[in-house]
Amino acid sequence: MVKPSLVSVVDDDESVRESLPDLLQELGFAARAFASPEEFLASDCINETRCLILDVAMPGMSGPDLQRELALRRQDIPIVFITAHGDGAVRPQLLEAGAVECLFKPFSDTALLGALNSALRVH
Amino acid sequence: MENDFSRVVDALPGLVWTALPDGHVDFVNQRWSDYTGGAEWLDGVHPDDLPGFLERWRFILASGNAGEMEARLRRFDGPYRWFLFRTNPVSDATGTIVKWCGIAIDIDGRRQAEDAIRAREDRFRSIVDEIPALITLMTPTGDLEFVNRQVVDYFGAPLEQLQGWPTGDTFHPDDRAGVRAAWRRSVETGQAFDFEGRRRRADGAHRWFQVRGFPLRDAAGRILVWYLLHTDIDDRKRTEALLAGEKRLLEMVAGGEPMPAILEALCRLVESTTTGCYCSVVLVDRSGARLEHGAAPSLPASFITSIIGRPVDARSGPCAMAAYSNEQIVAPDLQSETRWAESAWCPMAMAHGLRSCWSTPIASRAGKVLGAFAIYYDQPGPPRALHQNVVERFKHIASIAIERMQNDAALKRSEAFLAETRRITSTGGFTKRVATGEILWSDEVYRIFDFDPAAPLTLERIKSRVHPEDLLSFQDMLDRQHRGSDYEHDYRLQMPDGSVKYLHVVAHASRDQDGELVYIAAVQDVTQRRLSEEALAKTRSELARVARVSSLGALTASIAHEVNQPLSGIITNASTCLRMLAANPPNVDGARETARRTIRDGNRASDVIARLRALFSKQDAAAEPVDLNDAARKVIALSLSEIQRSRAILRQDLAESLPPVTGDRVQLQQVILNLLLNGLEAMGGIEDRPRNLVIRTEQEGEDRVRLTVQDSGTGFDPHSADRLFEAFYTTKTGGMGIGLSVSRSIIESHQGRLWASPNDGPGAAFSFSIPQRARDARSAGGLGAVWTSAVKDTQYVLRNP
Repeated sequence: MVKPSLVSVVDDDESVRESLPDLLQELGFAARAFASPEEFLASDCINETRCLILDVAMPGMSGPDLQRELALRRQDIPIVFITAHGDGAVRPQLLEAGAVECLFKPFSDTALLGALNSALRVH
Repeated sequence: MENDFSRVVDALPGLVWTALPDGHVDFVNQRWSDYTGGAEWLDGVHPDDLPGFLERWRFILASGNAGEMEARLRRFDGPYRWFLFRTNPVSDATGTIVKWCGIAIDIDGRRQAEDAIRAREDRFRSIVDEIPALITLMTPTGDLEFVNRQVVDYFGAPLEQLQGWPTGDTFHPDDRAGVRAAWRRSVETGQAFDFEGRRRRADGAHRWFQVRGFPLRDAAGRILVWYLLHTDIDDRKRTEALLAGEKRLLEMVAGGEPMPAILEALCRLVESTTTGCYCSVVLVDRSGARLEHGAAPSLPASFITSIIGRPVDARSGPCAMAAYSNEQIVAPDLQSETRWAESAWCPMAMAHGLRSCWSTPIASRAGKVLGAFAIYYDQPGPPRALHQNVVERFKHIASIAIERMQNDAALKRSEAFLAETRRITSTGGFTKRVATGEILWSDEVYRIFDFDPAAPLTLERIKSRVHPEDLLSFQDMLDRQHRGSDYEHDYRLQMPDGSVKYLHVVAHASRDQDGELVYIAAVQDVTQRRLSEEALAKTRSELARVARVSSLGALTASIAHEVNQPLSGIITNASTCLRMLAANPPNVDGARETARRTIRDGNRASDVIARLRALFSKQDAAAEPVDLNDAARKVIALSLSEIQRSRAILRQDLAESLPPVTGDRVQLQQVILNLLLNGLEAMGGIEDRPRNLVIRTEQEGEDRVRLTVQDSGTGFDPHSADRLFEAFYTTKTGGMGIGLSVSRSIIESHQGRLWASPNDGPGAAFSFSIPQRARDARSAGGLGAVWTSAVKDTQYVLRNP
């Protein structure tokens, strides 16, 4: 049995951290949830993580901050941003900076799966 | 025979001698020898009397006629006695004088009596002459007999020239007829004479005299002589005249006569005391800087006009200087006067015939200089004592008259001002005697009611104007009047043309001198104000609505975020749930768990909506207990994502056991939200330091609660601190500048205040403080009108997006 790819979720919203890993597992991925970028950076999952689902706005370090930090560390993890701010202005910037996708909450499982497949296919 | 003759001669009661025609004495009788002690004839005559005696003797000898002489003759033992020497010539048949016979009779007793009388008369004369009164003696028929020296000195004429008195012209022409009639009556009836009249002095001046005459009668009652005593009463008369004048002036003051008339009478009175004297009163004008005309009845207009308008200083003339220095200024001779050379005052005065002048300041009771009182003479000289006294007294009367006039003028101005104020503010007054129901209205009240002042004023007539809806409360007000306490009342009038007037009445209860209850009240037509207030309320509610819409707009993203978060959870969980159920075998436990989460997230979304409703929809503005901590937490909960999106770090510094305030929770939350959003915006461009936002609540003093929102943003210019709260003032490119102005309105309607203060470091703090509980129920309810409508507008917007 092929070891499922690890998808890490970084979101300060607890309900996301509860619900998303279950769905990811249902979709066939291994999943880990982190409440903040700092927690993720401190974990031992960075190298394992095949895809990062990252919230944009968080207290302290934001999603884009983590994106920049990972770039600095040469950690080339594909990132799927998720955000509850549906103004769309932020999306092109994130994609420009190398994100695979930016999903607006609430998003469907299909949209999530599509984004994950893109991310994993790229790599 | 010779012996007989000799005995006869010796027996004669006198000292006998004979002399030859040439006067040589050839015989003296024994008595002569006995008396003189045998001295020669002339040796016994007193040396003082001898020259006169010899002269007389030679005269008699030369005349050849009988003659007499008087002289003192020395007795043998020393003393001299007066003798009358009588001598007769003895002629022969041819008429030739052959001998002189003489006899000397002792008259010493008579002579001494005569001397005593003469001495007495001299003494009387000198006494009478020295008496400081004019004394004359008149014959019983009324002719002049004697005058004392004072009479001669006064009239400057000897007795002979005064004979014409009293028919003569020594009396003032106006008094002559009177004195003549009085004197005639006294002479005819013998009754004492008493008359007051003016008599002309040697220099032509008239002085007042009281003339009193008493008849001296003999034993038979016949009048021997009239003694007339003239007493100079001129000073008394002048004093009386001045007193009468002063009384007249005071009567004028008391009678409310106009000030110019009083000052003019005052000047005339002083002038009447002396000829060649002129008076003027100048006043200091309201500015205190210039002289203005008071009175100068006898001075030419050209003189007055050259003084009026001169500045009150030491250079412009004696009156200006007196008023300036508040000291009496004396100029005894204008010819040599140098003080006012700069203004050429002296030449001007001299051109009007004036030669000396002195000016006395007139001061109010409080000591403020009101003007100056000047006396001018046509001769050089110092102030006269009489005038000094007069001026001392009269300057007080002048001061009273001027001060009264100024007070009257001030009162009139004040009354005019008050009347104008009443007219402008549409305020009238009325009094009401509660016991009798008697009502007195001012003109303005008639105007407000549009009543004809001529028609009788009845309660029914007044009620007919009162708006039907206000009749009950109007009656209630009438009932309350019997309680005798002060009251305020608002009611409306329904005018005949259908328009409505709003009236505000403030009534004060008092008791008149009989202890009757009387109301004194002010009635103000506040229609305009009411209409303005309504217009203002409308504008404010419009502003509030705009502000609310604006904060809604600012929160749209935040609200979307708040709702999207749980929605996201719901959809994710629902997807998971479906997948778990679709698996083979179905993961029922997992599905149940995810379904539970779905419900929880649904509730969470529902909470967000509930919070929104609590913030933006409310039926009425209320005065309810509000916990500011709780209100702040709710606002923070709704704004968390906004805070997060602004990348601000929020610190809540909420005081424990904060007492509640009374107010409208929704409105207060809006203010907090507004301050919070402002704080976030102020930190929007800050990259070089943490974006710290602090919300703090604390007790302020004993009875107030304060909430502060502090940011570390751009701060504000202290010079425009006040402008921050003006409507449509904004430093933000995207803002409308109404948030703070509306917030301040809300806080002020809670009897609170809202202010901004710069931080010590970067940023600013916005605080409001409001009382723990509103001070009275009435004002707490008062914040309703405006904000209720504002809330209703908002509801409308929310329902019809």
